[in-house]
Amino acid sequence: MTTDLSTVAGEPEKGEQARGAGPILEVEHLIMNYRTKDGYVSAVQDVSFTIGRGESLGLVGESGCGKTSIAMSLMRLLPENAEIQAGKIVLDGDNLLELSDEQMRRRRWTDVAMVFQGAMNSWNPVYRIGDQIREAIDLHWEPKPTVAVANARIAELFELVGLDPAMMDRYPHEFSGGMKQRAVIAMALSCDPKLIIADEPTTALDVIVQEQVLEELRSIQHDFGMSIIYISHDIAVIAEITDHLGVMYAGKLVEHGLTKDVFARPRHPYAWLLLSSTPSVTGPRLKLSPLEGEPPDLVSPPTGCRFHPRCPFATAQCAAEEPPMEEIEPGHLVACWNYEQVPEMKAASA
Amino acid sequence: MLDPDVLLADEARWRIRLRLWSRSFRKNWEIFSRNKLGVTGVVLVAFFGFLAILHPILLATVWDPDIYDPVRGNDPVIIEKIIVPDGEVTDPVTQISFTEAMIYGTLFPKEGEVVAVGQAPAPPNGAHLLGTDPFARDILSQLMKSAQAAFTLGVIAAISAVAIATTVGSVAAFYGGWVDSWLMRQADLILLLPLLPLLIVIGSLYTVGLWQLGLLIGILSGLGATAIILKSQALAVKVKPFNDAARVAGGSNWHIITRHIMPNVLPLSFLYMMFEVVGAIFLEATLSFFGLLSIPMSWGIMINTAHTQGYTLFGLAAWWLLFPAGLSVTLFGAGFFLIGRAMDEVVNPRLRTR
Amino acid sequence: MARYLTIRLLQMFVLFLVFLTILFFLINAQPGDISAQFVGNPDIPPEAKQILRERLGLDRPLFAQYLFYIKNVLTLNLGVSFDHYPRTVADILLTALPRTLYLFLSATILSYIVGFQTGKMVAWRRGSLAEKGTMVTSIILYTVFYPWFAILMLWFFGSQLNWFPLGKFLTPAQWFDAPYTANMVFNTMLLTMFIALAGVGLVIWGTNRFIAEPVQRTRARRMLFALIAVSMLAFWLISPMSRFAADIAYHTVLPVTTLTLVFYAAITLLTRSSMLETLREDYIFTARAKGVPEKVIRDRHAARNAMLPVTTSFVLAIAFVIGGGIVTESIFSWPGLGLTLLNAVRVEDLPVAMGALAFIGLLALFAHLVADILYAFLDPRIRVQG
Repeated sequence: MTTDLSTVAGEPEKGEQARGAGPILEVEHLIMNYRTKDGYVSAVQDVSFTIGRGESLGLVGESGCGKTSIAMSLMRLLPENAEIQAGKIVLDGDNLLELSDEQMRRRRWTDVAMVFQGAMNSWNPVYRIGDQIREAIDLHWEPKPTVAVANARIAELFELVGLDPAMMDRYPHEFSGGMKQRAVIAMALSCDPKLIIADEPTTALDVIVQEQVLEELRSIQHDFGMSIIYISHDIAVIAEITDHLGVMYAGKLVEHGLTKDVFARPRHPYAWLLLSSTPSVTGPRLKLSPLEGEPPDLVSPPTGCRFHPRCPFATAQCAAEEPPMEEIEPGHLVACWNYEQVPEMKAASA
Repeated sequence: MLDPDVLLADEARWRIRLRLWSRSFRKNWEIFSRNKLGVTGVVLVAFFGFLAILHPILLATVWDPDIYDPVRGNDPVIIEKIIVPDGEVTDPVTQISFTEAMIYGTLFPKEGEVVAVGQAPAPPNGAHLLGTDPFARDILSQLMKSAQAAFTLGVIAAISAVAIATTVGSVAAFYGGWVDSWLMRQADLILLLPLLPLLIVIGSLYTVGLWQLGLLIGILSGLGATAIILKSQALAVKVKPFNDAARVAGGSNWHIITRHIMPNVLPLSFLYMMFEVVGAIFLEATLSFFGLLSIPMSWGIMINTAHTQGYTLFGLAAWWLLFPAGLSVTLFGAGFFLIGRAMDEVVNPRLRTR
Repeated sequence: MARYLTIRLLQMFVLFLVFLTILFFLINAQPGDISAQFVGNPDIPPEAKQILRERLGLDRPLFAQYLFYIKNVLTLNLGVSFDHYPRTVADILLTALPRTLYLFLSATILSYIVGFQTGKMVAWRRGSLAEKGTMVTSIILYTVFYPWFAILMLWFFGSQLNWFPLGKFLTPAQWFDAPYTANMVFNTMLLTMFIALAGVGLVIWGTNRFIAEPVQRTRARRMLFALIAVSMLAFWLISPMSRFAADIAYHTVLPVTTLTLVFYAAITLLTRSSMLETLREDYIFTARAKGVPEKVIRDRHAARNAMLPVTTSFVLAIAFVIGGGIVTESIFSWPGLGLTLLNAVRVEDLPVAMGALAFIGLLALFAHLVADILYAFLDPRIRVQG
């Protein structure tokens, strides 16, 4: 429905387009609230971004800043008390918010798959891992494959993520945490999705396994040319594996651009504080600047810029008016009145 | 020793405790009172409490014990009937046969003569608001006396069960190892005992009154199911850092168990007290219904009397015999059950409806 | 799995011994010699007293008496009834056992099946009118004083509406030219019930094992279940016993329904909370994200897991059903173990009372074992040790 998409609409083979041929996903002015006893919680406030085919986007921010809410909105798997008030989520040409529940159900996993936050518990304990992956294949492949064909595919996926194919006949409790996470990745790939959302894919794992799993994800994305959204509170993890980076604060996207640009020259004060408070082992020592104050109460968010109560550069304007997203250099957007005040990073090591 | 400062500090601490306690009580009551069913439970229990307290007052003031005593009282309704020959009774309300008249004490019945017959059970009337039972005793008075018995039994069973279970649970969780294994296997075993049949046999072999039954239920439950539940709670408390702090400060094992673990298990203990009362009262009523307990009066005995005197199938025709007692056991149990469920929401925030 | 079962069986045996020990001390803690209680009873012949003294080994030291008692119970040498002299206790109890088993099994199975389905549905439609209605009914049924409820059921359906007989086991008038004893017919009924149950278990196990594809598996299961149902029906239509079986079955409807209703309420409440808990699990979210249809999520993912705690709770429920069974038997004059126990207690027929108690204990342990096996089948974390 947007002009960019018309150019790719007729492409016969998905997943093979050159990078940047046209956005696979466009999120426009998404507004999402939760109804609670105390009032509406404004969880996602006017968020827009696009992801091109084969590109990866990282979303970072403190917990409760709305990144997972965005992921849930993309899957349309919001809890009952959540409602999307306005906006569009256009995936490969169709606005997901206009689909019927049944249409949306069919699209899950074929269009957008997910690698979950708590891989430990994302497997049903009473079924074999292979059977659970085959459930997804049986639901979405056209025509439905025979058990042998599906099993062959699962074996292939297991090898791809570095698991022994014989493990597919095992139950979840026989898998270690890292193995479960690999199996989750295998399951996410089982229906060749156009987009994968990886929501804190490695938080529950120990550091060495984290590295391996991330590496796996990156190489798979590279080989298959699919798009990925990484969601994490850990900016260091995201920086290594994404092309684009979005920084979220209190339900708003405050800075968005190429990862290397945002890393080298964060322009939003929050992104700047976040980046300068991340210690780097390899780079020169930085003086950690702690973020003062608490994240705001989203039932009654601060007026104007939501970050102004904690912002070292805040002015009267910040409290009164909401700053728009502004393109400060090609592809680098910031929502701040005073982005010019934000100093350069002392050590640009990204 | 009599340093005024110390006294002052002590008193202040005591006051602080009281204030903290009343504040948390108020907060918990607020959560509790949001649950309508829980409040219904409180109302039900309060109603039976009122009945129980009112009974001795009524007996001491307006009720004549010879008529209204729940066990010894006797007040048949006197009805005059005309004697007719055997087999010619057409209206049992106004007529009586020769044989029956003899049973009622007229040794030489004559046809056409009028005899006064004491009738029981009698339906509700001005003197007996809920009628009388087959032995001409006042049902309302029995009902109130039974409420006393129910509270006595419930309190004995609940307190003994929870006291034992809190101790057993805390000790098992604190020491672990073979102490834990032993106590928990023992609990598993008790859980498997077919309780009712066992109590039926015990009731027939020994004289079991309210106190004995209450203690027996309390001990069995305290060492069994309740111990298992409270142990898991105590385990959760045991890993909290304040226990380590107490240990570092030189607290003995016993000090940690009694001062740190038990108080934190207590809220859940209170909750299980409620369910304990329900279980105890149902067991008592069932055993009384079988006529196996030595209790002067209880709801179970009232149902047993109606049942054994042949009023089982009268249903609504003699409603005052079966319904007040049956409903009382049910509502008394339901009251505590509902309080328990509502308390569950206070103790386990997870269960609260958002 | 085999190891798990062996351990379980051993545990059960030890538990049974402990139970017998408790019974033994229960008798022994009584003041005075047991046989002395019956000296004044002219109905009991002196031989019976002698038999009792011998059976209990009252002249030997306590520990020898204990071993003797255990041996006697294990060899079913339970002595002779005082009340029904000279019938042996074992004979009386073995006649009563199938009747209790029937009541216990039908009430348990029916209430689990119906209660589980109801609990599943109301948890799924949380907040609906149907949920609220079911909850209120269940809480009322769950908290109602059971003997009173049973009396009301008997009064209403037996006496007021006259739909069902007023208790008892059969209608004597129909049996006088019967070529079978009531026990023969009844045991055949129980046997067919067992065979059907075993068939159902076998079908579930077999289809799970040999058919991987879920749709085909469900279809095969339905066909085989239908086959079992049809063959059961055919057997009872052809069998000459069916007239008598129908009479017994007619007498069972009311007691079974009454016991089932109360137990059903408990299962419904339990399944509902277990299901609500399960629905919050991450793997339910995974299933939704995979695009699994809602009904499949409810049945294959949520309900299947909600079954686990419900099965565990059966261990607690055993005491509940056994107690309820005794009350049911007493009110509906159902001549099973419970009524036997109560009658024995009333006439102070100690050998029968103790024997009945031992049998009931054994029944409870056995039910516990079945629940354990079922649980192991349902939960791969136990079935397949990782």
